Amino acid sequence: MSVVARLIEARAARRQKPLIAFNAATLRLGGKTIIENLDLQVRPGEFLCIVGASGCGKTTALRLAAGLYRPTSGAVTFEGEEITEPRREVAIVFQDYGKALLPWRTAAGNISLALEASRVPARERGARIEALLRKVGLPGHADKYPTEMSGGMQQRLQIARCLAQEPTTLLMDEPFGALDAMTRQGLQDEVLSLTQASETTVIFVTHDLDEAIYLGDRVIGLLPHPGRIGIELDVDLPRPRDQLATREHPEFLRLRRQLFDFIKATEH
Amino acid sequence: MKRTAILWRLASALVAAGFIAAWQLVANLKLVSPVFLPGPDRAWAALVRGFSSGDLAGKLIGTLEHMAYGWFAASIAGIALGALIGSSRMMRAYVAPSLEFLRPLPVSAIIPVAIAMLGLTQGMALFVIAFGAIWPIMLATIHGFAAVEPRLYEVARSLQMSRTAIIAKIALPSALPDILAGMRLSLTVALILSVVCEILAGLDGLGHWVLLSARAFRSADLFAGVILLGATGYLTSIAMSLVEQRLLAWQTAAR
Repeated sequence: MSVVARLIEARAARRQKPLIAFNAATLRLGGKTIIENLDLQVRPGEFLCIVGASGCGKTTALRLAAGLYRPTSGAVTFEGEEITEPRREVAIVFQDYGKALLPWRTAAGNISLALEASRVPARERGARIEALLRKVGLPGHADKYPTEMSGGMQQRLQIARCLAQEPTTLLMDEPFGALDAMTRQGLQDEVLSLTQASETTVIFVTHDLDEAIYLGDRVIGLLPHPGRIGIELDVDLPRPRDQLATREHPEFLRLRRQLFDFIKATEH
Repeated sequence: MKRTAILWRLASALVAAGFIAAWQLVANLKLVSPVFLPGPDRAWAALVRGFSSGDLAGKLIGTLEHMAYGWFAASIAGIALGALIGSSRMMRAYVAPSLEFLRPLPVSAIIPVAIAMLGLTQGMALFVIAFGAIWPIMLATIHGFAAVEPRLYEVARSLQMSRTAIIAKIALPSALPDILAGMRLSLTVALILSVVCEILAGLDGLGHWVLLSARAFRSADLFAGVILLGATGYLTSIAMSLVEQRLLAWQTAAR
């Protein structure tokens, strides 16, 4: 076997091993079962979207993967190791960017928070912050306070702070739910280009079915009360995705119909 | 915007001038005996005389020292205790009822206790001033620490920040507006208690000066002291506002 073939095989093997795995994970909170017997594997480099009616436990599943919750029974693992606490290589983008940013720190200061936590020396921070702001499309806004920025800009800032952690995995909890349609599409494409280039693994929770298909390699639909997997769809759409071409693709429309039917059925 | 601000300034200056003019008129017409009520002219003359040939400056410094030491002690202890109690729900549940008993206790009531235990000393004054001034600061700090956005603690957890980093970078800056508001309230309390302690314990300061002037029927000197106390309260409060504006610039950034 040639070296190249072996390398490709090794890489394929690595891709087979899940990065994050839910093994019969169950979570009960206050006497209610939020998630029951969830089995789910997330491959390295995969873009996984989770959808479902409100209250189906999709945010809870994300918090389990983040280490913000621990399962009542079963396990959630990262690279085969049980997740007990949040880890630096896993970054979380919260939906409520207004609450997740420090209002008393400027844009630069908010990014600096992550760099300080990673013990990046002070003299290196300036250049890193500048590069990150440029990366998320906020150059020249370093000295603005979050309250001086629009919702879209604040969410970009939160994403920049997460990227400052240099994560291998991004957990995104309805990150664009509160943004207007145009801003949302722009950010979808930016997140795709940011994560595809660096092969970042993403778990993306959303209630927007089109968004899930547009972004994901795979879409999981959860059933509510208690949360469990109801549908699993592989998205075989060419990359890079395109806001017009992808959304007009027959496969996109087929998946969309399937997902809509599923959600509709869960609402009864 | 700017013009209306200037007009308001002007209006408030006019009111003050009118008040002084009325005071002068009452004094000139001798509606109140000059033994008890000097005019603003005599009070001002006494103020100048007190600074140039008397020891009014020394008295002023004495009062400022009492006030500052007591206020600083109250601030440090109040913020430390407030942070400790405010950052833990269990501590709040345990300690809050005791605080509710101590807080409304009139400080004047503990002065005899303080004198009995510490004597008529500077230490007694420091204790009384600090004891009175600690409440607004501590209660504001407790509230500030209890009201930190929970999401920020999750951000801190996901960044794996240390406990001290969380306090210094998340909780303290978040509670700062409350803490500063409490410190401003305490400034007034500290001034009042400084004067009370000087009067009761005969400590060097404006309180003592006012007391002696009143006993000797030197009403002009008495009023000079009162004016000076008023100015002290006013100027320290303005200084505190400037500090607040500087430290909380982010709050006004968007508005």
